Amino acid sequence: MSICLENISKHYGYQVVVKNLSLEVQDGEFFVLLGASGSGKTTVLNIIAGLVQPDRGEVMLHGRNVTHLPPQKRNIGFVFQNYALFQYMTVAENIEFGLQVRKVAKENREKKRDELLDMVGLVGMGNRMPNQLSGGQQQRVALARALALEPDVLLLDEPLGALDAKIRVELRRTLKNIQQKSGVTAILVTHDQEEAFNLGDRIGVMNFGRLIEVGTPQALYQYPKTEYVASFLGSANLWLGSIVGNQVHFGTHALPLPEDAIQLSSNSRAQILFRPEDVALGKSIDDLGCIPLGEGKVIEKGFSGAAERLCVEIPAIQGVRAISPTVPYGNPDFLLDVNRSPEQSTNTPLIPGNNAWVGIRRLHVISHPGLKFLIVTDSSLRSQSAVSLGGYMARMSHARVLLLGVGQDKVKLEEHLIDARKLLGSGMASLQVKSSPNDLTGAITNAVEMQPFDLVILGWRPTAGFDQPDQILQTGEHHLLLAAKPVAKLSKALICLASGEPGKDNVIFAGRLLRHLGAEATLLTVVPPAQDEDESHERIDRFLAGGQNSLSRFGVPSVVKIKKGELVDAVREEMSSGDYDLVVLGAPLPTSTRKTSMTGAIRDVLSNVENCSFLIIRSHQYQRLQTRYWRNP
Amino acid sequence: MDIPLSGTFQKRKLPHLAMRSAGLTYIILMIVVPLIVILQDGFREGVSELIRQISLPIAKHAIVLTLWTSALMTLINAVMGLITTYVIVRFSFPGKRLLNALIDLPLAIPTLVTGVMLVMLYGPQEAIGGFLSQKISLDIIFAPPGIVISLLFISFPFVVRNIQPVLQELDLTQEDAAATLGASPWKIFWKVVFPSLFLPLLSGSLLSFSRAVGEFGAVVIVAGNIPLKTQTAAVYVLGAVESENRLGASAVSILLVAIALLVLFIANKLHQRWGVKQ
Repeated sequence: MSICLENISKHYGYQVVVKNLSLEVQDGEFFVLLGASGSGKTTVLNIIAGLVQPDRGEVMLHGRNVTHLPPQKRNIGFVFQNYALFQYMTVAENIEFGLQVRKVAKENREKKRDELLDMVGLVGMGNRMPNQLSGGQQQRVALARALALEPDVLLLDEPLGALDAKIRVELRRTLKNIQQKSGVTAILVTHDQEEAFNLGDRIGVMNFGRLIEVGTPQALYQYPKTEYVASFLGSANLWLGSIVGNQVHFGTHALPLPEDAIQLSSNSRAQILFRPEDVALGKSIDDLGCIPLGEGKVIEKGFSGAAERLCVEIPAIQGVRAISPTVPYGNPDFLLDVNRSPEQSTNTPLIPGNNAWVGIRRLHVISHPGLKFLIVTDSSLRSQSAVSLGGYMARMSHARVLLLGVGQDKVKLEEHLIDARKLLGSGMASLQVKSSPNDLTGAITNAVEMQPFDLVILGWRPTAGFDQPDQILQTGEHHLLLAAKPVAKLSKALICLASGEPGKDNVIFAGRLLRHLGAEATLLTVVPPAQDEDESHERIDRFLAGGQNSLSRFGVPSVVKIKKGELVDAVREEMSSGDYDLVVLGAPLPTSTRKTSMTGAIRDVLSNVENCSFLIIRSHQYQRLQTRYWRNP
Repeated sequence: MDIPLSGTFQKRKLPHLAMRSAGLTYIILMIVVPLIVILQDGFREGVSELIRQISLPIAKHAIVLTLWTSALMTLINAVMGLITTYVIVRFSFPGKRLLNALIDLPLAIPTLVTGVMLVMLYGPQEAIGGFLSQKISLDIIFAPPGIVISLLFISFPFVVRNIQPVLQELDLTQEDAAATLGASPWKIFWKVVFPSLFLPLLSGSLLSFSRAVGEFGAVVIVAGNIPLKTQTAAVYVLGAVESENRLGASAVSILLVAIALLVLFIANKLHQRWGVKQ
């Protein structure tokens, strides 16, 4: 085993950027870490190199524990995105630098240098200065420099990220060749799927500091095990249906379960994945030659060299939720991504506006994880609200629950957890109990480090201050429920929306949750008093109608309200007139550079609206909370 | 079509012209004219008389003293300025921002006050000054060490402020790369970091040298005005003016101006080369 990472975690403050990551890379393997920016992949690479110290876990290189060794003693080669050539040394001096540090004799050094220059295709460039080279050439020098010491492991941090498309492809080929020839174990970090598919013997997909799935490019693309990987790699048509016996059901359709999915438990909800090239289109149902889904309409057509890309709209299927492509906000119909070969498109030409029959040639079934809740209790009175409300919501939505007890006094905590379990009652899909002697935020940080949660549930009084909720928002990507009342029923929710993109995420998650609870919703938008009536009202009306439409897809009945003035006043007024159990607000996701904290209007609402629970929904679409809700200066 | 075009051109050109002449006139009045006057005054009796004035024992001693104290100060300033900047940029410690702000202080306080502060600290009657004088018989005040210390104080910001932006902008991945190639922190500093800092360090040092050569206020308080002992060139010029030795004053002044111009010229050249490198 060349590289072995065991339970690596790295925190910055309360934010966990690498969460309990374990990974094994074989000798001579080209491994690619793929993830969106901010997913923690570069941090993992820096930890292997010794440039960053992990808070927990071990790094083994060739069976040698190097966790506490400095980078100098790890015998690794590192290639940086920005080349990081020594600006005041020539190309030759750059390549020889490592050899010179090791005090290798001059003639050996020069021999090695010439070999490497030849290998990366820069013969005769040894006397140039780095700034006289193009980006691609500089990266070749950096590669030669990293290989000069014949490292055990080659680490590449987005090495092709700063280059032009054409040079990128060229250098990609060089890189793969050199790696195969030298047989060095390599880990490359990238956000570029094509690069990952091209270079990787195996790929590890990362998201929010977690290694979600590892596999060969083919396996990850054809047979992903998780929703994230299915929708992250390439484009995917992903629906939520169910398994009944040895069939996959979605709506009135039933298809035989593919062989690789036999082990999935029968009579459970399952995600159905079919890639764009697995969709067949035909003028009539007989043209399809595979299992038909129904008749749809082509709404978009594009061209990408090898394939024709179509987007087809088909009527929504009752009892099925489309996970990907996301159903446009306010639109009742489903969308399908379709790729067709040039042959297929000549045989059955289609243009936007045409009707076509849609069928599925092949599908892959993924088990549906459902929702996962973290209920936090510290034996205080207010955490009873969290236990009873969280328990109710988990039962109704079939969520799996981790009950986390926090406290110093072990005996008292054990007693309390027994009570809490009683309060939660039976009928949970799955219940785990854990206790922690840490402070509340620390305990939550540790818990989300081990596994992700959709929702963290916490007891809440406005008098308790904002430090805890603020810190909990830092710890991960979960939504947050602040439970204020120990109610065991939730029948009416007030969803506060600014008319804009982030509001759509609010509606969708709230819809998912409220559907299970059988609750109804009010969509509330607050506009400034001075805003121009006609124009903006029309836009807001349209937005809210879309929201209602989306909610009705989940079977959640809703009404809409538009109020003028401050958000906090509007919420209070609405609270007094209606009998709401829950107020839904939005907050941004944590990023590596920005701290999320609850300021402005959201804080006003939290501190001024009493005796009500809050659901804070995270969306990556917020930039700043202040711009989220309109607020009087 | 031609006429309106040239009309707008004229309109745009007029303010440009006014602006340019205002700026140029200002520079000529403020800098060039005084320079010409002093040159004319110094060379009034011919070059040989100018050289004779500079070679007078008292004048010569003052000039030599000025040059070697400034040079010594520049050396110390370069080394310590480099270390200070590195610490300020690369390490975090409580009070860092305050310290960073304090570095500019020598530019703001009157140099006379600087002199007074140093006399209070190192004067023979004060604790530190007394201790140094008795134990290791090192006199600071009214002696060359005092000159060096006061020059260090007043020119401290030049080196720091010249290196600081360069060090802040420096790409850390180069150092990471060197570390993965096995270089020790010491080696990384000399081989990777220092080459980028060399030119700004040199130009900052030259600036502090040229500033030090002309320093009057702090030096006159700390070193006094003892001919052939602690009298520096600038202080000599004051003495010459007061004793109505106008020619002597002009001659030494011209030499000081020449040194300052030469150093500024070199510093400027360095800046240009370093700009090209970037």
